[in-house]
Amino acid sequence: MNGVSEAKLLLLGWNFRTAAMAVRERVAFSSEEIPEALERIRADGLVTEGVIVATCNRSEIYGVVEREGASESLTRLISEWRGLDFGEAAAGSFYREDAEAARHLFRVAAGLDSLALGESEVLGQVRTALRLAREARATRAVLHRMFEGAVAAGKRVRTETEIARHPLSVPSIGFELATKVFGDLSERTILVLGAGETGTLFAEQASGAGAHDLRIANRSRARGEELAARIRGKLVPWEELARALPEADVVVGTTASPEPVVTKAAVEAAMRERRGRPMFFLDLAMPRDFEAGIGDLYNVYAYGLDDLREVAEENRRRRSREVPRAEAILEEELAKFLGWFGNLAVIPTLTGLQARLAQLRDAELARIPEGERERYRAFADSIAAKLLHEPMRRLKSETDASRKLDRVEAVRHLFDLDA
Amino acid sequence: MSFHLLGWLAVLCYAAAEAAAIVSLVSPRSRLAWLTPALIGAGLALHFRDLLLRARALNSVPYRTLGGSVSLFGWMLGIAFLVLLLRHREQAIGPFLIPFIMLTTAGGLLLPDAGSPPAEGTHGALFALHVTLGILAYAAFTFSFVLSILYLIQDRQLRRRQTGLLFSRLPALEVISRMNRTSVTVGLCALTCSLVIGLARASVIWTTLADPKITFAVVTAMVYGLLLWKQRRGWQGPKVAILSILGFGLVMFSYTIVNVYLSRAHRFR
Repeated sequence: MNGVSEAKLLLLGWNFRTAAMAVRERVAFSSEEIPEALERIRADGLVTEGVIVATCNRSEIYGVVEREGASESLTRLISEWRGLDFGEAAAGSFYREDAEAARHLFRVAAGLDSLALGESEVLGQVRTALRLAREARATRAVLHRMFEGAVAAGKRVRTETEIARHPLSVPSIGFELATKVFGDLSERTILVLGAGETGTLFAEQASGAGAHDLRIANRSRARGEELAARIRGKLVPWEELARALPEADVVVGTTASPEPVVTKAAVEAAMRERRGRPMFFLDLAMPRDFEAGIGDLYNVYAYGLDDLREVAEENRRRRSREVPRAEAILEEELAKFLGWFGNLAVIPTLTGLQARLAQLRDAELARIPEGERERYRAFADSIAAKLLHEPMRRLKSETDASRKLDRVEAVRHLFDLDA
Repeated sequence: MSFHLLGWLAVLCYAAAEAAAIVSLVSPRSRLAWLTPALIGAGLALHFRDLLLRARALNSVPYRTLGGSVSLFGWMLGIAFLVLLLRHREQAIGPFLIPFIMLTTAGGLLLPDAGSPPAEGTHGALFALHVTLGILAYAAFTFSFVLSILYLIQDRQLRRRQTGLLFSRLPALEVISRMNRTSVTVGLCALTCSLVIGLARASVIWTTLADPKITFAVVTAMVYGLLLWKQRRGWQGPKVAILSILGFGLVMFSYTIVNVYLSRAHRFR
């Protein structure tokens, strides 16, 4: 592509594979810092367009450049700005050009470059990156199109493959299993034991997933009340746990208790009161909150951390098996973008424009008696040459690569050269 | 029309519906979901036309013969499937239920089509309603049987932490349970009505009601009645599925062995 187009795509990045946490922390950009970063890299004329993708695991600068050595200058600029040693910043960075830069972005958007393969969050982060760049007026035709293409590819990968289907996190797997017992969990009663970090995380996730009847039981009443208020749930006094058990469809254990807080006998009693209606126990505590053997009771489904980790590992393998299909989709979408980008070069555009005019000329000549055609052909060619001379000269002599791309794209659009 | 061209075209439609249902099961976002009910609908229309032609040829109701009876059973299965699909909107059950529609329809086309002379009193609208309701009940119980098997499979997968393709595609246990309850309720209502009509007519035209078919139908109704009653009292889980499977065992015995060999009054051959 580089041989065809005058402008070059560039990617300079730091991610969890290339840079240590200490370096990643220094080059991390918050949403508030991104406009300034975009301003800095464009002010120096290093890039004519720029977008910064910032996630917890990566800081990646995408740009359109028109001169050699841009990556080194960019690294220097970032390291000086963030107070980082240049050598350290350069050692932890990675650099891609043209098709490889675009391919990397498409892989990022599809979640193929993520720590948790196929994760969905990154697609939103790529979208945000484009929005921030647009608001900072840092994008034009090329990066805009490249990011839109990456987002479209990311969506296709997620809908046409299973890569994002199987959950990887322990609470998500627990949720999926409970959903396979009860169907819609929004009308079910979920009882979370413990209001610590795990309990809070699970309760928030359940609340976010639409669970309406969430109950929190915690030894420390104040902490339990605080969490219950935050998720609009109800507090179950710890001493009334046995009474609350039969009402719960899903019970999640997250306490730090050294002894099981729910015994098999208590579950047996609860099941009798529930007349055998199913119960689901999710033990996220270490040591366990639920006595062993609960899962052997009729219509009781019980899962511990080891079970969930086993499922997570299997799900990871399932996602990995989808990678070749995802890659094929990405290549298909990437080819569309690269084809478009390749066409933005001046020479193919001018050749296309001449061909289009010749086509129009021949169509008109066909309506003229054959004997007079040569005369009219010379006449038409002379007008076309004069008409095209100035636009061609201006296109060829434009020194700003991005402006040149914008103009080439305008010509292609106005004369419908991509049809 | 003894070749039953329309009947075989219906089987073809059902086979295509099965293929579409499998594709939808494997790739739920394949946009083929609408094709399954459409093909089943087309199959049912062709199948109905074939049943009409069969009735005209016999100059009687199509279920006078074993072939006609099985074919009508297939048609009722198709209707029950569409009702279940529209009521619960669960496409994932298609691949497991459609084969029954396909096989019974094909079976009905292959089985003998020559009917014995009609027994006394086996004509008229009430008789037709009695048989139609009976066959509808069997169709509903067939689906209850398949749904019970699916329930046990999903339950087993949950207990063994097997979270593969089938696990992710099959509906939740609660959803399967609800569908099963719909099937059993429809089946039991239809069977009870069929029994009441049949007994009322039999008491007028027959000297005795001691027919194995009647006995088995009553036992079947009692088993499914017990199932529904227990469910209403909160009985759930694999035991319900197992009882439903046992009930279907009775249905099959009644429909095959009793129909063909034991019953004098309810004989199709």
